[in-house]
Amino acid sequence: MLGRGTSIAMSIVARKHRRRRLNHRGTHRARALLQPWDLAPRGGRTYQRVRRTVLALSLFTVVATPFLAARFLDRAWPAGLIVGATGSARVLGIELVDPLLSAAVWLARGARPGLLAAALPVLLLVIVLGRFFCGWLCPYLPLLALSHSVRWALGKLGVPLLDLRLPGWLRFAVLGTVLAGSAALGVQLAALVYPPALLARTAYRLAFGLGVGGGATVLAAVWLFDTTISRAGFCRSICPGGALFSLLGAASPVRVRRVESRCTDCTVCDVVCNLGQRPMSDLVDAGCDRCGRCVAVCPTRALSLSLDGRPP
Amino acid sequence: MNRRGMIGLAAGVLAGLFARRPGAAAPVLRPPGALPPGEFERACIGCLRCAEVCPTRAIRFPGGTGLDAGHPFLALREAACVLCMACTEVCPTGALARIPAQLERIATEVRIGVPVLDRKSCLPWSGQGVCRLCAYVCPMGPRAVELVGPQQAPLFHAAGCVGCGLCEEACPEDARAIRIVPAGAAAGGSP
Repeated sequence: MLGRGTSIAMSIVARKHRRRRLNHRGTHRARALLQPWDLAPRGGRTYQRVRRTVLALSLFTVVATPFLAARFLDRAWPAGLIVGATGSARVLGIELVDPLLSAAVWLARGARPGLLAAALPVLLLVIVLGRFFCGWLCPYLPLLALSHSVRWALGKLGVPLLDLRLPGWLRFAVLGTVLAGSAALGVQLAALVYPPALLARTAYRLAFGLGVGGGATVLAAVWLFDTTISRAGFCRSICPGGALFSLLGAASPVRVRRVESRCTDCTVCDVVCNLGQRPMSDLVDAGCDRCGRCVAVCPTRALSLSLDGRPP
Repeated sequence: MNRRGMIGLAAGVLAGLFARRPGAAAPVLRPPGALPPGEFERACIGCLRCAEVCPTRAIRFPGGTGLDAGHPFLALREAACVLCMACTEVCPTGALARIPAQLERIATEVRIGVPVLDRKSCLPWSGQGVCRLCAYVCPMGPRAVELVGPQQAPLFHAAGCVGCGLCEEACPEDARAIRIVPAGAAAGGSP
């Protein structure tokens, strides 16, 4: 795995000499990509900037809300615009509940219409947009970007890093274990391993002056796993939330599509993907979080996020 | 890691989870309106909404990595519950049943814990004076705490007590004779 980046860079250089068409601005961008601090699209397209802004706001909201709540109770944000944390919140007057936690309570205690109603807004978005939450809203993602940066820096320093590729089915096994285990044990387990919930609990403890707590320990373990053992491995192969969104969004019409005639088989899209998708070979499944990084980095603009039934 | 290694790891994690089953742990004080022990842990998703709205900050979350880490408890030693019932209003899963902030409803439906009095520390019971603080702050009045004898010593009635902990908070620093304990816990001391 370690040698992969180098070989890709070399193959790109080789191609550059072979094919004149690649010798344009895009090629330089693609080559720059293989050294950069986190394999993130530099510059990127406008919606990548929007995505990063949304993610930063997401983390900020999760951390800032308990700090404000510690002073102003449920009037944290003006007029109570945002109340709560990742598990359950009232945003702009709409009650929301995390679909994973909602499903876990359903399985443990039977159907509860109120819980379904509160999970519905996110559920509908997931059904239409697929696993978009993982790429566009999850407050863990800024930490993952930091993990990439640290990973790159450690690599530069010559620290040997693993990039273990756990099998994709593992996350469904984790989801099944968490849901069935919650029902069998009579304790909700999802919030103990689900990064958004861990982040919220850690922020709450810090805001209320209760010390760091166990949630931070698990979160740190997740982060260290992603940094030293498997790049974004938790998101890709372990996170039960990601698994649930993959299942629910399996029929989503929004997909990454490739125009074969424009593709130069440079593999940059495959390398940049956090979730082990392979857009270059048209091997994109429900595990895709629609983050669009592959689209933004493609040197020849062969990829696009588009709706089924429309030309890409 | 191969498949066998992973299955072994998963089995280890599961075994660890079962070993730390919280039913074995001592029962804890839950916020007002909480479902009975067992049911509550099944329903609570650890969303923190109750802690966020608690005006006295009595609702806390444990610090460890145990199975109970995602469930709120009441730190009545540090702050009492003022029975505002805001936590029951925001609970999204019904782990805290909705109870309006009306005295009669609270008196019949809220059972956070039961009071345990250490008569050796209690000022009137140990003959150190007339205190009456607990009876003075009790929102339930004489149905929960009665004053008896010439020194007006408190006599608690667990059946009429909601377990809000106001008496525990009011009890003078050098006495701290009252403790609210979970109803299931074996009560030490005399009521």
